[in-house]
Amino acid sequence: MSCSNLFHEQTARQRIASLVDPGSFTEFLPPPARVMSPYLPQLDIPVSFDDGIVIGRAKLGGTPLYLAAQVGQFVGGAVGEVHGAKLTGIIKASARDSIPCVFIAESGGVRLHEGSSGEIAISEAMRAVFECRAKRVPTIAVIGADIGAYGGMGILSTCCDFRIMTEHGRLGISGPIVIEKWMGKQAYDSSNRALVWKTSGGKTKFLLGDADLLADDDAASVGAAIKKLLSKSAPLTIKSVKARQQELEKRLKTFGKTTDPDAIWKVLGIKNVAEASLATATEFTALAKRK
Amino acid sequence: MEKFVKAFPSKPLTWPRGKQWALAGVVGSGNLEVLFERNPKTTDQMDCHVESSIPGYKDSWLAALGDFASNYPVGGTKVTIHDQGADPIVVTFRLRQAYDHLLKKTT
Amino acid sequence: MSPAPKDTRRRNKAERMRRVGKLASGKFVSAKSVPEVLKLIIETGDILCLEGDNQKQADFLANQLATLTKKDLRDIHLVMSCLTLPAHIELFKKGLISQVDFCYAGPQGQAVAQLLADGKFPLGAIHTYNEIYARYYVDLTPRVALIAAVQADRQGNLYLAANTEDTPAIVEPTAFSDGIVFAQVNEIVDKLPRIDIPADQVDLIVEAPYPMHLTALFTRDPAAITDVQILMAMIALRGIYQKYEVQSLNHGVGFNTAAIELLLPTYGEQLGLKGKICKYWMVNPLPTMIPAIESGWVEGVFSVGGEVGMERYTAARSDIFYTGRDGSFHSNRAMGQLAGHYGVDMFIGATLQIDVNGNSSTVSKKRITGFGGAPNMGCQPMGRRHPTKAWLQAGAESNPGPGSIPGRKLVVQLAETFQSGRVPTFVEELDAQDPAIKKALHGVAPVMIYGDDVTHVVTEEGIANLMACRTIEERRAAIRGVAGYTPVGLKRKRSETRELRSRGIIQLPEDLGVSPSDVSRSLLAAQDIKGLVRWSGGLYDPPAQFVDW
Repeated sequence: MSCSNLFHEQTARQRIASLVDPGSFTEFLPPPARVMSPYLPQLDIPVSFDDGIVIGRAKLGGTPLYLAAQVGQFVGGAVGEVHGAKLTGIIKASARDSIPCVFIAESGGVRLHEGSSGEIAISEAMRAVFECRAKRVPTIAVIGADIGAYGGMGILSTCCDFRIMTEHGRLGISGPIVIEKWMGKQAYDSSNRALVWKTSGGKTKFLLGDADLLADDDAASVGAAIKKLLSKSAPLTIKSVKARQQELEKRLKTFGKTTDPDAIWKVLGIKNVAEASLATATEFTALAKRK
Repeated sequence: MEKFVKAFPSKPLTWPRGKQWALAGVVGSGNLEVLFERNPKTTDQMDCHVESSIPGYKDSWLAALGDFASNYPVGGTKVTIHDQGADPIVVTFRLRQAYDHLLKKTT
Repeated sequence: MSPAPKDTRRRNKAERMRRVGKLASGKFVSAKSVPEVLKLIIETGDILCLEGDNQKQADFLANQLATLTKKDLRDIHLVMSCLTLPAHIELFKKGLISQVDFCYAGPQGQAVAQLLADGKFPLGAIHTYNEIYARYYVDLTPRVALIAAVQADRQGNLYLAANTEDTPAIVEPTAFSDGIVFAQVNEIVDKLPRIDIPADQVDLIVEAPYPMHLTALFTRDPAAITDVQILMAMIALRGIYQKYEVQSLNHGVGFNTAAIELLLPTYGEQLGLKGKICKYWMVNPLPTMIPAIESGWVEGVFSVGGEVGMERYTAARSDIFYTGRDGSFHSNRAMGQLAGHYGVDMFIGATLQIDVNGNSSTVSKKRITGFGGAPNMGCQPMGRRHPTKAWLQAGAESNPGPGSIPGRKLVVQLAETFQSGRVPTFVEELDAQDPAIKKALHGVAPVMIYGDDVTHVVTEEGIANLMACRTIEERRAAIRGVAGYTPVGLKRKRSETRELRSRGIIQLPEDLGVSPSDVSRSLLAAQDIKGLVRWSGGLYDPPAQFVDW
């Protein structure tokens, strides 16, 4: 017997290889093209052939899709100029060709070394996501790595039609250390891993409705979740935005003063928190019974 | 940053049909990425281009690369490495993985 | 002229206890009276044993002792296992100690090196555990022992729970030589779950205001196991475990051996080794053993200490672990060390530094850690007489002469060629050979395991079988042959390595059927702490710092 590779431990290229139909992936701007950051060498930081993001076209269960996967190990998956242009490009290609777009996020946000180019790239990518959504072309963010999706990538992920998370994934704007720095260790202890995952991890985000599907920590489970969503899209209308706003106001009212994340789980229908913490994605989804 | 270029003698590699390159590893702390490409100028040496974020270990780099070139037939390749402080064993590991990717349909 | 009286110790003890007088109600003293009690029971020149084990610490008593000054306490000969707490160091800074004999100074290794350099560390010797326990019965018998227990009952019986560790080894020589045994307990109860130390051997008890210090020392998160460690584990399993069919063993506590434990139910199963190897263990209840235990590999485990979070699991697996009548886990360091010395066929553990002769050490110029228990197990037990297959096979390979023992224990050093920060593990000369360190240790370099005792060195490059080497030159060439790209390894001669390889003295991964491309973390039966909890059926309660859910 042998276990499967854990999705959260795989590299971007391994994730793509284990997700898509065998042999179906064609990479755009592959390593030999050497489209790399012009800024990092000036700072004496090593460069990478793909600038920390792998993009291309593939099929999943026969359905064509455009795919991007961030390399979290490379400067924390941070979005620089080249990285951001590749990301924006693949989303724009989705809008142009009406082919679903899936990005596997693993990023702490923009690459501060490259000035505002990362910020600009994120806003361009957001614009591209909204182009897709206006055309009802599905956009899906997969968040299944410990680095999670924070800062600009957190925002971009929430702009998509759907988010798939695993219990390892984390989603937020400010990272735990930043929150601790501004709010104090009393309010938020970033070294308390259980607290961090209970507030920003996949299971909590799924309970709150910020993640649409919870997958197990392996490519097969993530792939199955993507397949479920590939033919769907979530309408983006004034009505849907207002409904979302109301939902968030209600959440703030219900939980604004709650200090114990377990209490949130309980209010959201989890009776046995310890058991649910260890539950698989399928078991947890059954326990949550939301909607 | 330490950069150097060095060629090592090696038996010719029989290039698999359809493969032009292979990559292994990622650039991250204690890790490296290595790219194998065709080098049409030669058949009996491995041309190495190394960029390492940690200077001062050229001796062990040369020994590890030289051993690899003598243990595997990789003549006719251009090998480019972006390193962020990988141990020699990780160098050997990644070279071997990239070599396997090149020969097999692994990724 | 009448002969000198031979019961002075007994009368002296009575005198000390009389001085305590009304500060004690029966055996019980209050927490706030402890500094005063310590002043009354300890005399100038005493041999004082302070219980400081690998994991548990009599920290309340240590902290109270450290509040005393030279006016209260002088010329103390301190004997203890582990110098672990800041309070231990404080005793030296205050100049209360005239001699110290100990085993290990893990977290205080740097402080000890500094005290030595400042001339404030009057060292007798650094010991192994059983060595110091032995001397408690010979020339280091404590007059006063300050110990730690979990609970006491009203009669003064003590309950030690999972972490018995050193307590019996300290209490017996003290109690049976008219010394004073003073215990701190977490709480006083009406009825103990079981009695580990009888009241008869205990003189004074205090309910400490805080529970004793207890470290989760042996929890290794599988998520931190690297590909290189998995490669080495595969090499070791094929080249040593399988080759010698090792049935009884002791594992170190590093990530290298954790990788081996987690490969048993996967890679080991594929090799068809279940039931053939790794049945009897002398090891702490390591969480990374859970998958192998649950898969039916393990017949029994005896431990020198407990491990935080393993209480419910060990209690529920009483066929495997030693448990008391109350059903809970039991350990004993002295007996465990004895089992590890005589009872098992292999010791395997990681090390920080190995020299070209095969000597290893964890000491550096800035950090003096000492030995602990590894040398008791990482050595040839010359008194062993019972044969096993592994022992005889290793003995035959080491080519014994007519005057030597026919078998040999496998003593295996796992060593990645580099430590973190590109520090080479293999060196021409150990830091432990530094003249200043040797001088402080009365001329003896603090070698953890001697090259003559080591049978195999395993690195990511392969295995060097040192016991099969016929000369010291051959041994050095074998070590260089697996030392990779360290300065020691770069000096190898290809022709020598080839010759040793042809004789099987050096085995490369491919000689063992191990390929780096087979290495994958997916081979680990559990890839993170949560995986271990799932294997345990929810019986393992990992300490908070390991929980991210």
